[in-house]
Amino acid sequence: MASMNGHGPVAPSEFPPPVDPVGEFVKRELDPEEERIDVGVAIVGGGTAGLACANRLLQLLGEDPDLLETLGEVPVAVIEKAKTCGGHNLSGAVMRPGPLQELFPDLSREDWRAEKFAFGEVRKESVYMLTGPKTKLRVPIPAVPNFKNHGNEVISVSALARYQQRQAEEGGAYVLTETSATQLIVTDGRVAGVRSGDKGRGKDGEPLGNFEPGTDINARVTVLAEGCWGHLTGAAIKEFGLAKNREPQVWELGVKEVWKVPKPLDRVIHTFVQPWPLKVASKYGQLGGTWLYPMKNSKGEDLVSIGFVVDLNYRDATTSAHDLLQAFKTHPLVREILDGGERVAWGAKALPGGGYWSMPKLSMPGALLVGDGAGMVDTAALKGVHHSVKSGMLAAEAIYRSLKSGSSLEAYEDAVEQSSIGQELYQVRNTRQAFQKGFLVGSLLAGPSIMSKGKVPPGRQAWHRDDAEPMFIGDTRERYPKPDGKYIFDKLSSVYVSGNSTRDDAPNHIRVRKEVPREIAETWRWMCPAGVYEIPDDAPESGRVDVIVNYTNCVQCGAITAKGGRLTPPEGGDGPLYTVT
Amino acid sequence: MADVLTYVLHYEGEFNKNSLGAVSEGTARAKEIGGECHAVVVGGDDLTDELCSSLGAYGATKVFRAKGPEGLAQPVVDVMAKVIDENGQSYALFGGGLLGFEIGAGLAARKHAGVTMEVISVRAEDGKLVAERPILGDSQISVSRYQGDLGIIIGRINSFEAHAVDGGSAEVVDVDLEYSPWSTQAEMVERGEQRGADVDIEGADILVAGGRGLGKPEGFELLEQLAGAFGGNSAVAATRAVVDAGWYPYAAQIGQTGKTVAPKLYLAAGISGAIQHKVGMQSSENIVAINKDAGAPIFEFSDLGVVGDLNKIVPKLIEAIKAKKGG
Repeated sequence: MASMNGHGPVAPSEFPPPVDPVGEFVKRELDPEEERIDVGVAIVGGGTAGLACANRLLQLLGEDPDLLETLGEVPVAVIEKAKTCGGHNLSGAVMRPGPLQELFPDLSREDWRAEKFAFGEVRKESVYMLTGPKTKLRVPIPAVPNFKNHGNEVISVSALARYQQRQAEEGGAYVLTETSATQLIVTDGRVAGVRSGDKGRGKDGEPLGNFEPGTDINARVTVLAEGCWGHLTGAAIKEFGLAKNREPQVWELGVKEVWKVPKPLDRVIHTFVQPWPLKVASKYGQLGGTWLYPMKNSKGEDLVSIGFVVDLNYRDATTSAHDLLQAFKTHPLVREILDGGERVAWGAKALPGGGYWSMPKLSMPGALLVGDGAGMVDTAALKGVHHSVKSGMLAAEAIYRSLKSGSSLEAYEDAVEQSSIGQELYQVRNTRQAFQKGFLVGSLLAGPSIMSKGKVPPGRQAWHRDDAEPMFIGDTRERYPKPDGKYIFDKLSSVYVSGNSTRDDAPNHIRVRKEVPREIAETWRWMCPAGVYEIPDDAPESGRVDVIVNYTNCVQCGAITAKGGRLTPPEGGDGPLYTVT
Repeated sequence: MADVLTYVLHYEGEFNKNSLGAVSEGTARAKEIGGECHAVVVGGDDLTDELCSSLGAYGATKVFRAKGPEGLAQPVVDVMAKVIDENGQSYALFGGGLLGFEIGAGLAARKHAGVTMEVISVRAEDGKLVAERPILGDSQISVSRYQGDLGIIIGRINSFEAHAVDGGSAEVVDVDLEYSPWSTQAEMVERGEQRGADVDIEGADILVAGGRGLGKPEGFELLEQLAGAFGGNSAVAATRAVVDAGWYPYAAQIGQTGKTVAPKLYLAAGISGAIQHKVGMQSSENIVAINKDAGAPIFEFSDLGVVGDLNKIVPKLIEAIKAKKGG
């Protein structure tokens, strides 16, 4: 369907957000000593990667008191924008256990469960293809070896990050929660730290009564562990040309709920969601999948983690991950599991899907990239947590050697390449690209790629940018069920459950063009799981729409960045407070 | 003995409603743990014996009166710290509001005492007070118990209701003290009115609330006419969306990040009724909703729902009310 403005289909990239990452987010001078905070290593982001880095570094420094001494009063600082570490973390998640076992060798998997971030080893698993609203087809695991999870551990990344925070603090890290890092400080071509965000500004940026200015945090080494769509990672990539000769990054969006259920789920389940509720026809450009994992709450009651992930490469503007999850819940496969249960949590998060070819160069003078921010997700196996942990550890080891002997931080890049991260991501480097040509083509080519452990297709398969896809207003929306507030939920009541508490009179942290064609406005409205973008009732059917941005609803999933906007960090402490996601 | 000390704010010869709520709450809880409720007042000559002893009507047995600037936090911290040092009260209780937050926090720092803010309920357990406060967007309740000699409880605004008890009069005790140097640095320059503070939506019996469904800022003129027609103790309130859009002042905002109200009648015009709004008004006695969307969630918790165009319905309603009142 052509757009209604008479110029043919429009892509979000034609309406780039009003933002200049390098100009706005790179600071060229360091404040004088008496006004700044000097630290040894500054880690931006207290998620699984950043905290693995902090913990590994503190282990190494613990055995080297002389070096520790040289790092001053604050050897390791972790800067986290959520109210607590884990507050903005969300994943499925089934984790390969290796790297975490390596990080905490004295901890058994039973100990993980006692610490309440892990819920058991996967012993049974099923994969289905949903063929319609009531029908499914079982896919044998040998046909889809990438889905094999036997022996892996079901975890909550939010709870894992909270555990890692406790460990890091006991080890001597300073964890600055409710603190956004808003600018990368670059002096003499080298990263010298970050600046923390101001607090207490009003809607128009004016200082309010409780205004507190940000502070320069000067670090000998900075680790950007910001997760998906890192704000400063993006600025660093541009500033230092880290994405040169790489494929563009592409993105996916996951929406998740946690349900308390009357009877335990005895296995992990993954589904393909074509031909239902996603469409097969290539004009929709849709690809997605779901999961159902068994969990427990702190009282030992049975929970189920359920989620829907959709590639942000789609073309139907009415694609909505939140509503697709609601549709998925109406399938008998799910009803049987959730029946008689109660929703206890909801959240949303984007993730990088490009894999090996889209990973930027991982080091620059004075700084490193780790985890999701560096694109370390294997979207064929739906795994990334173990890569995050591993990359944090490898970064810590490279930093330790650099502080000790002055060796280059670039050693980290080789270490990643040689490790399980490089090996696993290399194997699936070309698996997913074909899906950009449509679901059927992708399905035909993904199998051989996985079976051959990456030997076919050969070479380097290109990715096309998500925001370059022309959008049309399609009919995917017709598959969304109507919310009843009990089993099927609307977006706003979901945001409420996320614990979101963004200050009403804070400045808007979302950068989008406000006047856009309806196709773009509809794309944002449907895509955003938190109902941030609203189209006024009296907006014209064709021509430009003046989008209302309810930025205080924002749960900072980051998806907007893939479709023509930009998420910048709001005031520290704003956003959701995830606990079990 | 476990006494409870409260601070009572006054202005122009009248005590603050939330402070009186704290005295009532303090009296009830002190009884349960075998103690009394005392009050601190700080001010000038307007704090007459008669005014101070009238706090007995709310249950206070002793009122500690100190000369000092009224409405500033640090002098009150000095007075309360001295009164507690000399009389050994076990709890300090505040009714809410920014001044109470500031005094309570200052007192906690001064006395190394535990403090809980935004408390909505206090109860006695094994001879000690336990404070409950909602967390995680009011979805869970966190319970605070106190260690040490002093526990500080700061209520969420309007959580403690003032009610007169069969009132004796309280004993008035004058407190002489030298203020800390920093306590005399600030002076009250001007008392400002918060924008829209004349809108007393929390005290209103009838609230007419408007949302995005009004279509335009001028829609509120219609709601003001409706509130006017109801007369008496009625006021106009608003949702976050329209406050965000600048259609109505923040002081009138109801919901998760606004005020919590419980009027006798809540008339919602053009409000969809998202949970964020619902938590601010769900305890209203009667909820009437007008919305053109029959599927709006507000109809699920309305006592009376009208599906239709509020621009047609509200003027007719105004006429009908006027006719009824006239007749």
